[in-house]
Amino acid sequence: MNLRKYFTLIKAGILDFLQFRLGTFVIIVGNMIYLIVIYNLWKAIYASVDTPTVNGMTFEETMIYLVLASSMFSFMECFLVWEMGRSIQDGNITLALLKPMGYAKYQYFSLAGNLVASFFLTFIPTFIVIEIITNGAIRPGINLLFFLFSVILGTTINFAVDFFVGTICIYTESIWGINIMKEVIVMFLSGATVPLAFFPKTLRSIVDFLPFQAIYHTPLTILTDSTLTIPAMLSMLGMQCIWVVVTLLIGNLFWHFSIRAITVNGG
Amino acid sequence: MNNIIQLTDVSKEFKVLNRREGLKGSIQDLFSRDYKTVHAVNHISMNIHPGEIVGYLGPNGAGKSTTIKMMTGVLEPTSGEILVHGRTPYKNRTQNAQEIGVVFGQRSQLWWSLPLIESFKILKDIYQISDVDYQDMLALYESLVDVQDLYHKPVRQMSLGQRTLSDILAAFLHNPPVVFLDEPTIGLDVSMKSKIRELIKALNQQKKTTVILTTHDMGDVDALCKRIVIIDKGTMLYDNDIEHLRSFFGAYRTLKVKLSKHITDYSEEAKNRAIQTMEELITPQFPNAHFQISAEEDWVNILINESEVELMKVLSFIQTKNKIYDMQLDEISTESVIKKIYEGDGGHEPA
Amino acid sequence: MKTLSLPYYAHIYKMILIQDIKSKMSYRADFFISTIGMIFTNLSSLAAFYITFLNFPSVMGWSYHEMLFLYGFSLLALTPLQCLFDNNWSLRNFVYRGDFIKYCFRPINTYFYFISEVFDLKGLGQGAFGLVTLIYAWNKLQLPVTFLIIVQLLLALTTASLFMIAIMNFAAATCFYIINSGYVMVTANKFRDYAKYPITIFEPFFRFIFTFIIPIAFIAYYPSLLFLRTNNIPLLTWLSPLIGVVFFYLSYLFWMHGARNYTGTGS
Repeated sequence: MNLRKYFTLIKAGILDFLQFRLGTFVIIVGNMIYLIVIYNLWKAIYASVDTPTVNGMTFEETMIYLVLASSMFSFMECFLVWEMGRSIQDGNITLALLKPMGYAKYQYFSLAGNLVASFFLTFIPTFIVIEIITNGAIRPGINLLFFLFSVILGTTINFAVDFFVGTICIYTESIWGINIMKEVIVMFLSGATVPLAFFPKTLRSIVDFLPFQAIYHTPLTILTDSTLTIPAMLSMLGMQCIWVVVTLLIGNLFWHFSIRAITVNGG
Repeated sequence: MNNIIQLTDVSKEFKVLNRREGLKGSIQDLFSRDYKTVHAVNHISMNIHPGEIVGYLGPNGAGKSTTIKMMTGVLEPTSGEILVHGRTPYKNRTQNAQEIGVVFGQRSQLWWSLPLIESFKILKDIYQISDVDYQDMLALYESLVDVQDLYHKPVRQMSLGQRTLSDILAAFLHNPPVVFLDEPTIGLDVSMKSKIRELIKALNQQKKTTVILTTHDMGDVDALCKRIVIIDKGTMLYDNDIEHLRSFFGAYRTLKVKLSKHITDYSEEAKNRAIQTMEELITPQFPNAHFQISAEEDWVNILINESEVELMKVLSFIQTKNKIYDMQLDEISTESVIKKIYEGDGGHEPA
Repeated sequence: MKTLSLPYYAHIYKMILIQDIKSKMSYRADFFISTIGMIFTNLSSLAAFYITFLNFPSVMGWSYHEMLFLYGFSLLALTPLQCLFDNNWSLRNFVYRGDFIKYCFRPINTYFYFISEVFDLKGLGQGAFGLVTLIYAWNKLQLPVTFLIIVQLLLALTTASLFMIAIMNFAAATCFYIINSGYVMVTANKFRDYAKYPITIFEPFFRFIFTFIIPIAFIAYYPSLLFLRTNNIPLLTWLSPLIGVVFFYLSYLFWMHGARNYTGTGS
């Protein structure tokens, strides 16, 4: 067995890192500052009430939830809206339409590799660090398996939402506006900025009827809530599956409807 | 005669970080800074008179843009002195900018989303052009090109040719004494090229503007420049009239004659026979001249150095001995001369 | 030749600004969508703020309405950055494509000329949002309204805005020195979200960082003390206009130095 090629590979990886060391360094520092701010903020909030739990969550649970949510958000970020918007504007979309594969499928599977890689590179390390810092607050068990399935389903819903929003770019030049709207709505209503447990009752019941909570909230709950039974987890996965079907269906219908407009007008 | 631009022994050096290869190298790069000095421009001197159009030529990376950037005040020379209209450009960048116009390649300096006339209005205020001068300039433009059609078109909707045209008009708008044009005709079609050349020529004549033009297109040079400056690898190779450039190589011209009406035999032997016949014919008559004779299809080609013998004499001598059915004259082109200079065999009188 | 004086610059600025707004108006759809996107961003951020602090009477001695005051103040202070200095986001593209040189050929200041080129209308939406929030909080806190206080408020807002503008100048100008500077800009941009929290929630070490290294505490916290803690105004609050001007000037020097440095390379 020749070990040389593995060393070469590792070397290339490190070289690559050094080449872009500043970018990486800046991202790490940026995330650290974000964590510091979040940590201090919630510490101050919890310090200002007498009870150890707020809305059923301890300080530690809230922190774990928010840190994992932000890391899930960054690993799922795939800039699909930007890519679709740009290729619609510069006309490259017609090239993509020539491919012997549905556009949505093509995008989904070309993003899949990326997502797997960034799952291992950003989410897993964060998870391990949290486990070490909190002395294993998350009990690893069957929930990890459910979590994995749930993440895949969540990613798919996120993709479907992005695909739907990207399609809107056929009608407008404002990619920035469309994208920022999507980003804040998804971030907020999925519980990535504030845990859904903190939401007022009426808002919470509205959010439960929307697909966004199935992106981050469902996988995170499966991972962190140790009181969940297997049937409960199964029913959560079932809900996610329904959302996958619904969002993909709507996304595809909208796409096919819109693309007809392009081909008719000779976009 | 006084000079509008004066470069005295100007040099520009850049320091470039030597990047080492491999992992070890990039770690070393983190700690040490090993610089290599690049001499972009090397001891260049030139004087440019008011109203001249000077072609500034050289292969890619020769240092043309660096020189122009120094003359526009964007770059500071490492050594030497530059005076543009009596000012040191780098020390007075903003004042200098008031008195020059620049068109830099295909990079439009106009406001991308604005109609041309709105860009002009902003430029009018930036350069503080008086209403009278502004109106005069627009009137001149209207007499030279169909600028009316462009006025209300946003720059981003223009074709490359229209954009270049607009950029040139914008550069002349404040009637600067000097205009720098960096490859103004690059990427344009033939008719647009000639339109732009005519415009530059007209503006130069009407406004007595000094124009420094860099280009790779010898058509630009032939149409516009009396004088050319050639640099390569930062060093000046040539600075003189374009006419003189040709004689720089010896005044070569090719005389082509057709000596029989219908040639049926295109074989090598036939060609060699024709060459030999011609050689035996003319060499004894002009013993001091060196001819290069070749043959192709119907033609016999004679390369004549006119500093040795006049072409017309050779032609009339041949006519006394043979019937000439047809004839052509080929000038040696500027392009091939400059190509020779770039390739480094400039300056030798071929034996 | 006339000197390039302040009225001259003001006039040029007005000219370019009006033209830019005019041409933006020809993309009305884009403008509306961007504005709606901006409103959504602010709405969701306000909702997150509301949900987080609603359940708590006070955090570290800061009442809900005082926090809201900080929030509105920071939005207003960030409005000039959003409206007037948005072209910094494009600096990177100009530099990497080599188009930046066009800003160096005019007889006016390069930084001024570059920044003047873009006016971001949707920033006004954010400003209106901030203003309404601030007035609401002001009212709820029953703060006095006198001529002097209004003047103080305007002065405080103006100088506070300089800090984030300077941070973004620094971040944008990194593209003159390094490749891959996009991350620097994105990371620096996130700092503006942290400006709305009272700095007292942080440990002393980070208080120091956010005051003197990344001075986001001057965007809302220090100037707000002028109105919220009238009997105990720290020296830094009084000094903040001076520090703001100096900090902005430093960022301007860094930017200009980069611009000069950059034009020196490449043929």
